[in-house]
Amino acid sequence: MARKFRDWVEVLSNMGSTPTPEADYAAFQKKVKRTILIDNLSPQVTASVLRTAFGQFGTVKNVQFIPNYTGLENIPCCALVEMESPRQAEAIVSEITQFPFMISGTPRPVRAFAAEEEMFDDRPIKRGRRIQCRWLDPKDPDFECTNKMKRLVRKHAAEELFLLKHLLGEEEKLAKQQAEELKANYKKYDMIDNVISDGTAQGLARCYHMRNLDD
Amino acid sequence: MVEATKVESIEFKWGKKRGIGGKKKDVQFYESFCYDGVEYTLYDSVYMYKEGETEPYIGKLIKIWENAEKEKKVKVLWFFRPCEIFNYLGDEKTTENELFLASGDGVGNANVNDLEAIAGKCNVVCSSKDNRNPQPTDKELQEADFVFCRTFDVGNCRILDKIDEKIVGIEAKFLLNRVDNQNTSGVPKLDMNKKEVSENVVATDGTRSLARKEPSLGEKATSSSDVKFDEVTKINDRQVDNSGEMASSSSKAKRISDVKPSLVNQESSLGENSACNSGLGERTKDDKKETMPSDNITSRSKDDVGSSESKVDKVLFNQVLIEEKVKVAKDSGDLDDRPSKKAKLDDLTKASYDNKVKSVQKLRHDSKAVAQTTHAFEDKSKPKLTKDPHEINNGLSKEPKPDEKLARLANGMFPEASLRQPLKEGSKTNYQIQEVTRRPEALKVLASACFVVLDAKLLVKMRFNTYIFVIDMLTGQKQVPWEERMQTALEQGTVVLLQNLDPSYTSAVVEASGWQYCCCFLFPKKAVNLFGHLVINKLRIHMQREMKEAVSTSHCSQPNTLEYDMAMEWCLLQERSDQALRKLRQQQEQELRKLRATLKSK
Repeated sequence: MARKFRDWVEVLSNMGSTPTPEADYAAFQKKVKRTILIDNLSPQVTASVLRTAFGQFGTVKNVQFIPNYTGLENIPCCALVEMESPRQAEAIVSEITQFPFMISGTPRPVRAFAAEEEMFDDRPIKRGRRIQCRWLDPKDPDFECTNKMKRLVRKHAAEELFLLKHLLGEEEKLAKQQAEELKANYKKYDMIDNVISDGTAQGLARCYHMRNLDD
Repeated sequence: MVEATKVESIEFKWGKKRGIGGKKKDVQFYESFCYDGVEYTLYDSVYMYKEGETEPYIGKLIKIWENAEKEKKVKVLWFFRPCEIFNYLGDEKTTENELFLASGDGVGNANVNDLEAIAGKCNVVCSSKDNRNPQPTDKELQEADFVFCRTFDVGNCRILDKIDEKIVGIEAKFLLNRVDNQNTSGVPKLDMNKKEVSENVVATDGTRSLARKEPSLGEKATSSSDVKFDEVTKINDRQVDNSGEMASSSSKAKRISDVKPSLVNQESSLGENSACNSGLGERTKDDKKETMPSDNITSRSKDDVGSSESKVDKVLFNQVLIEEKVKVAKDSGDLDDRPSKKAKLDDLTKASYDNKVKSVQKLRHDSKAVAQTTHAFEDKSKPKLTKDPHEINNGLSKEPKPDEKLARLANGMFPEASLRQPLKEGSKTNYQIQEVTRRPEALKVLASACFVVLDAKLLVKMRFNTYIFVIDMLTGQKQVPWEERMQTALEQGTVVLLQNLDPSYTSAVVEASGWQYCCCFLFPKKAVNLFGHLVINKLRIHMQREMKEAVSTSHCSQPNTLEYDMAMEWCLLQERSDQALRKLRQQQEQELRKLRATLKSK
């Protein structure tokens, strides 16, 4: 049965700035546009660190960390950073995509993406969105199917967790490999420094009739 | 003169005719009508329910008619809640239950609606000091659901302290309090004669058929009402007040059954046994007719009203009624508040719920009337009798919950009820789809945040699935802040993760969808370590000579450094993981879609 009344209430309040659901949602959408998602953050990063980091690109209005509720502990942190204008946000995203940008640690760069509506836990309900739910009883023709679906979803979650674990393993491997590399590099530089400082290099140069390194 | 029409099995009856209008003289105006067992007259204040809105609108009926297409229409002059005109209030102070009457010229002061959108009566009292306004008593003011003394001019968007001579062509005197105050209560008219009483019975029929539609009518109600009935008969036979025995009957039935013995006693002391018996006989007949006995409460209480109204002295009843009706209306307001806050009763429920509220009100009338008459009659059971109504009063005003619960159980709309016996009612495939609307005080639940993490991490759209699957219930008070709730929930192990939610569900929705007692959040994990941030303490000076002066904690690395090469390796790895996850997601979505296609409904 059609129930139509008081459509005008919306009209009336849109004239002012009353926070109607529509206005709310529009404001929220604007906020989404000027927000970026920063991924691969170290757990040491705090809101103030992010503020200074992105203060280089423009004015940071708000920083909101997204808590991690999944079973894995070492998943990098992410945060939503709200900038002053959508242009600033876009600039940051393109900058960070082009050049590796590091916050509180090297060499793993952070990633930046334009934020999406689903990333906000306090987002308002979309106007006109109607959500229905109900219980199915065992005699319902859909009962079997939904049960299957339930199991499938569980399976998917497990698959996902497995893949995430695997990817984390990969990350760990890369980190170890890089640490090795770095150590090797460090050793190399250290050796060169030592050789130069203790006069071995000079001796060798003389031995092979080469010009002194210092010249 | 009276014609009965059935709309969606909700009982409806036109009242007094007014006049005929329209171009072809095919529009019939009315002055009153009876909808779902409630009598509405012109200029009554009513709740108007709108789908998708939490709070019902409030308005005054200023025109009632049926058009050529046999559609029942009402024209409603609106009241505004302060929050609706918040913008124009400025510094104006408003009380919690203050309303503003619409006035002036412009869109929105009144409009035409389907009569079926009416959700119930509302007790609005005009507190204006205007001399045209019959001043309400303090009690009336106190007991009113809402008061108004100012108007809101929709043309100029201004608050006016004065009430205009005419608003949308209606004289102010109709909009202010009525001289006899009848419109302020949601109580049937005082001059209710037997005919109307019989109407009441019809109304019960309507309710019955309405209730029959609901699959999960509580068996609890059945048994208790049976017990009650037996006891009532017994009392009538012996003419003894055994309210003590009543106490042993089930708590839900108790109050109602308490009323009955006293009523019966009163009737007998009046020496109208025969009439009473006939009333009881009627009841028995009714009961036998009923296939769904859980309606007993409604129907019987209405019958009671019928018998008591016809028997109790009219003057006395009037007197009592005037004294009590505001209070009663207030109580009904209290009761009404709840469903609107819960925001999940649809209009059907609301209608039948209102009915129940009404019946409770009527019971109270009876009890009060009984108390008054017994004073006059020096009955030996007087002390007990006079005490009873008080108990009832207290019970009703302080804990409206059991009744509400009962109503809900009977309606089968409340998830708790359907949770309790979702499977036992297997014989009926008639399921209830629950509409979810936003609750006003949206508590912060982190269900969506959980998905946020996954979503943000994977940057792949979550799969779309509109079904919420099974979750457990948590018993808890919703007044407690969510952090505490979460803490206790964690301790009790009642935390639940909702999987497979549509990403467009927000936490508010999850909360509103009736699982307000269930926690949908998980405990956030504290990340301990991030792979890929390497530290070489001794080396810093050698490695980053050029970085020495840089204080910033962040930087873009230059392409000619070792750091840059390593960063590139990370980017490569990241890209690979994204690919893998995306692939997995796609595959899963396909699987799910395939399964969804086999769903029979929707």
